[in-house]
Amino acid sequence: MASSNMWSRSKIWLHAAFLSFFLVFSTAGFSQDGEKLFKANCASCHKLDKKLVGPALSGVQDRWESKDNLVLWVKNSQGYLGDHPEDSYAADLFSEFGGSVMPAMPLSDEEVGAILDYIANPPAPAEAAVVETTSAAPVEDDYTVFWLLGFAVVLLIVVFVLVDVKKSVKALLIDVKGEEALAGIGEYNDLELSFGKRAQLWLARNKTIAALGMVVVLVLVLNVVWNGLLGVGVYEGYAPPQPIKFSHKIHAGDNEIQCVYCHSSAPQSKHSGIPSINVCMNCHKGISEGSRWGTEEISKIYDAAGWNAETASYDKPEKPVKWIRIHNLPDHVYFNHSQHVVVGEIECQTCHGEVETFDYPMKQYAPLTMGWCINCHRETEVKMNGNDYYEKIHAELVEKYKDEGLEKFTVSQMGGLECAKCHY
Amino acid sequence: MSNTKQYWNSLEQLNNDEAFIAKANNEFAEELPVDEFLGNENLGSTNTSRRDFLKFVGFSVAAATLAACEAPVIKSIPYVNKPEEITPGVANYYASTYYDGTDFASVLVKTREGRPIHIESNKLAKLHMGGLTPRVNASVLGLYDSERQMYPSINGEQASWKSVDDKVTSTLESVKAAGGNIRILTNTIISPSTKAVIKKFEEAYGANVKTVTYDAYSYAGMRKANKAMFGKAVLPNYKFDQAKVIVSLGADFLSTWLMANSYSAQYALRRNPDGKWMNKHYQFESNMSLTGTNADVRAAIKPSEIGLVALELYNLVGGSVTGKKFENDNAAHEKLAKAAKELKAANGHALVVCGVNDPDVQMIVNAINEKLGAYNHTIDLDTPTHIRQGDDEAFAGLVKEMKSGAVDALLINGVNPVYTAPAAVGFAEALKKVKFSVSFADRADETASLCTVIAPDNHYLESWNDYNPVGNYISFQQPTINALFDTRQMQDSLLRWSGINTSYYDFMKSTWEGEYLPATNEPFLHTFWNKAVHDGVYELKSAVAESNEEVAMPAYDITAAAANVLKGAKSGEWEVEFYLSNAIAEGNQANNPWLQELPDPVSKMTWDNYIAMNQVDMERLGFATKYAEESPADMAKITVNGYTIELPVIAQPGQKIGAVSIALGYGRTKAGKVVEQGDATVGEVKSIGQNLFNAITISNGVMKYSSADVSIEKTENTYPVGSTQTHHTMMGRKIINETSLKTYKESGKEVWNPDHILSDAYGNKKHIKDLDLWEAHDIEKGHRWGLSVDLNACLGCGACVIACHSENNVPVVGKDEVRRTRTMSWLRIDRYFSSDMTKLRGKEEGLGKIDMYGQMEDPSAYPEVAYQPVMCQHCNHAPCETVCPVAATTHSNEGMNQMTYNRCIGTRYCANNCPYKVRRFNWFNYVGDAKFTDVNPSQSDLAKMVLNPDVVVRARGVMEKCSFCVQRIQAGKLEAKKAGRPVEDGEVTSACASACTTGAIYFGDLNDKETKVRKSVDDDRAYNLLEEIGTKPNVYYMTKVRNVDEERIHESIAAAHPHASHEGGHEEHGHEESHGEEAHQSHEENAH
Repeated sequence: MASSNMWSRSKIWLHAAFLSFFLVFSTAGFSQDGEKLFKANCASCHKLDKKLVGPALSGVQDRWESKDNLVLWVKNSQGYLGDHPEDSYAADLFSEFGGSVMPAMPLSDEEVGAILDYIANPPAPAEAAVVETTSAAPVEDDYTVFWLLGFAVVLLIVVFVLVDVKKSVKALLIDVKGEEALAGIGEYNDLELSFGKRAQLWLARNKTIAALGMVVVLVLVLNVVWNGLLGVGVYEGYAPPQPIKFSHKIHAGDNEIQCVYCHSSAPQSKHSGIPSINVCMNCHKGISEGSRWGTEEISKIYDAAGWNAETASYDKPEKPVKWIRIHNLPDHVYFNHSQHVVVGEIECQTCHGEVETFDYPMKQYAPLTMGWCINCHRETEVKMNGNDYYEKIHAELVEKYKDEGLEKFTVSQMGGLECAKCHY
Repeated sequence: MSNTKQYWNSLEQLNNDEAFIAKANNEFAEELPVDEFLGNENLGSTNTSRRDFLKFVGFSVAAATLAACEAPVIKSIPYVNKPEEITPGVANYYASTYYDGTDFASVLVKTREGRPIHIESNKLAKLHMGGLTPRVNASVLGLYDSERQMYPSINGEQASWKSVDDKVTSTLESVKAAGGNIRILTNTIISPSTKAVIKKFEEAYGANVKTVTYDAYSYAGMRKANKAMFGKAVLPNYKFDQAKVIVSLGADFLSTWLMANSYSAQYALRRNPDGKWMNKHYQFESNMSLTGTNADVRAAIKPSEIGLVALELYNLVGGSVTGKKFENDNAAHEKLAKAAKELKAANGHALVVCGVNDPDVQMIVNAINEKLGAYNHTIDLDTPTHIRQGDDEAFAGLVKEMKSGAVDALLINGVNPVYTAPAAVGFAEALKKVKFSVSFADRADETASLCTVIAPDNHYLESWNDYNPVGNYISFQQPTINALFDTRQMQDSLLRWSGINTSYYDFMKSTWEGEYLPATNEPFLHTFWNKAVHDGVYELKSAVAESNEEVAMPAYDITAAAANVLKGAKSGEWEVEFYLSNAIAEGNQANNPWLQELPDPVSKMTWDNYIAMNQVDMERLGFATKYAEESPADMAKITVNGYTIELPVIAQPGQKIGAVSIALGYGRTKAGKVVEQGDATVGEVKSIGQNLFNAITISNGVMKYSSADVSIEKTENTYPVGSTQTHHTMMGRKIINETSLKTYKESGKEVWNPDHILSDAYGNKKHIKDLDLWEAHDIEKGHRWGLSVDLNACLGCGACVIACHSENNVPVVGKDEVRRTRTMSWLRIDRYFSSDMTKLRGKEEGLGKIDMYGQMEDPSAYPEVAYQPVMCQHCNHAPCETVCPVAATTHSNEGMNQMTYNRCIGTRYCANNCPYKVRRFNWFNYVGDAKFTDVNPSQSDLAKMVLNPDVVVRARGVMEKCSFCVQRIQAGKLEAKKAGRPVEDGEVTSACASACTTGAIYFGDLNDKETKVRKSVDDDRAYNLLEEIGTKPNVYYMTKVRNVDEERIHESIAAAHPHASHEGGHEEHGHEESHGEEAHQSHEENAH
């Protein structure tokens, strides 16, 4: 009994020691970083220089008579209001913001202090961001044209040089042999003829090469035309400019927001859905400035939502955003996102590419041609395991393919290539 | 044996008509206008040379090619604030209610992205078991009708709601102050809250406000009869499912009579030959109604004889009044005697209904039902039906009052009396005498356009309301879309004008909280409200109190009523009956092209009304009885009660000889653009058909829908008719297999549904199913979708056809194209008449084959009728698939015949090779061609919102056909896959199956032995259409079983045993006699 008691007590001590060590370490770590604390706890409702849900915080210490009271307020504003009915400033502040309650913050005095220090001495705005905004999107210039031009110039020089050489050789020959001596030689006579005539003669003498050449040229031309026609209506890489310069890289890449947070109907519907503005506002109510374009693009969201940053309310008219649709399937094709996302458990990236690395503007990654669809349906195995829907058909297919000994089946083996699976 | 069968394109070809031969030799049926073009004198003086022309052509081709290469920029605009319940691409369903004074139905509204696109039945609606009528199904299109009044107006000028409110309230106040009369003329109101609103209005404007209820088609006779006999002017609640024997005297209770959707659902429950019992239905009527065609025994009588039949029946069941004999040209007397015997034997489970709007006849019918004890079993007088409360006398009184100038202000709701009131009443002139009139009509119709103010009401899909059609049954209406136009619900307007500023929604809620909450089972308003609005229907603990004055059981004199009936039964050389047609009814939805193009179930005519006359009469008078694309119908001038119009005459087998019938509801002039499509002229205006409401008289205080004061005169004019079926008999083939209940019960399948046995190449007899020319498809794995149609339950109403149009974006093509047999319906209902000529009879009479088949083509004068919905049969050996040069139609491993529009190049080989003729070719660009602007909904910016976004709109030059609603199959499978469970039976269903009021269509997985459809397919009654050609369809039909006492064995069996076939042969009114020639042939073959 005693020993076990001892053990448990020592275990508690051990835990306590570990915990306090961790706490000290962690608070020590945090107390240094007012900025981090501010961003984690305050930034969703407060800005330094602007009203948001709550007041602008710059110079907050000057506005409060006592820092202790301010700290109490921050930690539990409702409690403070109850304990200090005489503080008219606090009461006014509460009513000024329409009685919206600032939630009690689970922060220590030190942490609040660190935040206040950060508010008092914010770091100077990063120059880099400004530079980036002004330089705008780096355009990758296309140098192919210049290369081609340079190449053409070199070619021209070569042609001139060769023509010159030929002339010199001819003059040399006349010099050496005399004009009469050369008259009997056919090839020399040819030199006197026009270019057209000479070409004709050459062709007449080299029929096989000419015929082969023609075939090669024809095949090349047909190939170009064929590929050109195949490309009609295929918009792989289509990246139209959008009304708001939205970067998937920043959202899905840097901030690791799940695709379905915004494209929330993908698991339920045939459309993945372009998020409505209220979804944007879930975050952007607090984030009014971006790293790339500053406030310029985010203010377009506010415009659309009818959000008034001054009054922190939706008191302006709503203006829906007219996005340009990138992935356009023809009307006679039925495609369902939920089928592929939920049943097929296919990653978004399989068809849309590494979207988390795509900056503005978003582009169409896949060709979205029927051949592309069919290829995938031929190769992809249906995830039948654990889905009772497939139980019967799976057993029947195993029976059908028992000679091949197949256990897993592709979409096409299930009839996934049939017309009316997508066309109706 | 030699094949002696001959097929003809048309009757003209069959008859070797001279004009036809001349035309057939020409490549173009019509003269090409070459001369006209070349004869143009200005042609030489134009500057455009041939070279220029070629340049232009070259340029246009190049420009078009370039333009086609550019990708169009498509914008996508998401919601700013997405409503929580809407997911783009996923349909939402809302329970609501349709009620327009004619039809009542609790419905489910399918919406996509907030747009209502389809009406489904609400299976929770016990009253009518979810049953709909084609009119209810089609009502969703009316929401997007661009002819609706889009704003309020004063004297025809657009006005704001404020100015309308000011004008109406100030006028009504001054009328009130001056002690003037205010009248509300309305259709039957069955909404408790609306009644409360009207009460508020009456309170606000004092004692001089009076409400008059008027129905375009009146049932006042029944109410009067019930008042005289039972002391309450009500319509009883009928229970057709309790009736073992039903006798209908001219009541079309399966199509338009009272709550037809409710009755047909109840009726069909008892049409199952395997059920405990099957009802027996006798019909005595003049016109060939939908109900008449479904009757086991039908007798044609003149309209004036219905009263006499009632008297005779009364005497036969134990009454004793003076009657009079009526004409007996199709054994009507014997049929009536038999009916009476069976009615009495039914021991109370009998029901006699009558469609004549005459209080005396209705009293006799009541007396018959009393004698039969029906009031305890099949008729419920205590919980009456509240619809059709129109009072013809009050209406006539109102018009009289208006004419005298005593009405100072008139409010008109839900009725269109300028169009529907008889000309003799003179409503239009009376309306001119009213200084101030307000209409709540949804469009500037015949009446509203003459009113001072139009305060347009919302469409029912934009409105809140509650309905109480019967007893304790409550049905809620909720809006499924915001008002599309600047309209306001009638109740809101009345509240505003009564000085109450709450919305009708709030008013409704407070009415429920205040008055009816105790009658519910819910403790709080919100629990009740949420449940009632969610389900759409609610059953109260007790019936909603009706304000009918009840008097003590009056003493009535049946002899006096009988004497009146006798006096009223005046016959004439010609008699006419006006009926409500299945699609158009009273013409409320005349501007709905879906309904105009829905073929009449019996005549198969579209886009018109007409004089329906028996072919015997027509031949006597020299009318053409056959009409097709190039054979128009002859016209006749008909004068009824002094009112003359000219209409085409259509051959209607079964129509009583010596009487004609004409549908009401046509000849509208101000319904919208669709009615201007018609070929008739009313006054100066183009219209669809003619208005016969004008010819109605008021007799005995009620509207009389028949007349013996008729003369008919053939004119020289002809009229093009758009009929979807020009061949009416089965020509001795097993198309619809049918038998009698007696044979069905007593004999095996081999007698009434024999298998097709053929000999193979080695002379072995084999079932047709075991003989194959091709490799079988691998359809036993996974799903195999199939459909079965119970021909016993199918009544032919056409709700499935409309549902199919709505679900699959089937284009409307207009009468001109229907005339050219280019209708696009994926699902048609074939209607067959029996013929006097049979193969047996032909043999007996020693007729040659040509004579025999010639006579087989003609229906009997009073035939039996059968319906058969035909959609793509999804053959497992599909003839269409083998002939497509581009593999645009292929077979799916789920048993479906797939049609791929984007592959189709329009050779039409498939349609040629289809034995069922279910493939439809897009001859035109129906969504763009100017010819179809006014008929095809997809051409209007508004109406194209009704299109189903999951189904592509087909382009010109491609073939289309029934897809088994593959979009629903795919969606159902996906739901199951997502939930990780097998597909449940009933989860996946086609639009036709889900719309069928009587549950005649089953849809499901044939590979699953537990599904309803599989069970029906395994039933002895099941057979395939044209089984003998070996197409192996996935659509099955269930043999029709008529409840008649005679033996009806299959013709092939009868031919093998000629003696058996003579039993009970009712040659006169044509019984089952159309069975498999091929089966017959096979027997001959086997004999070799």
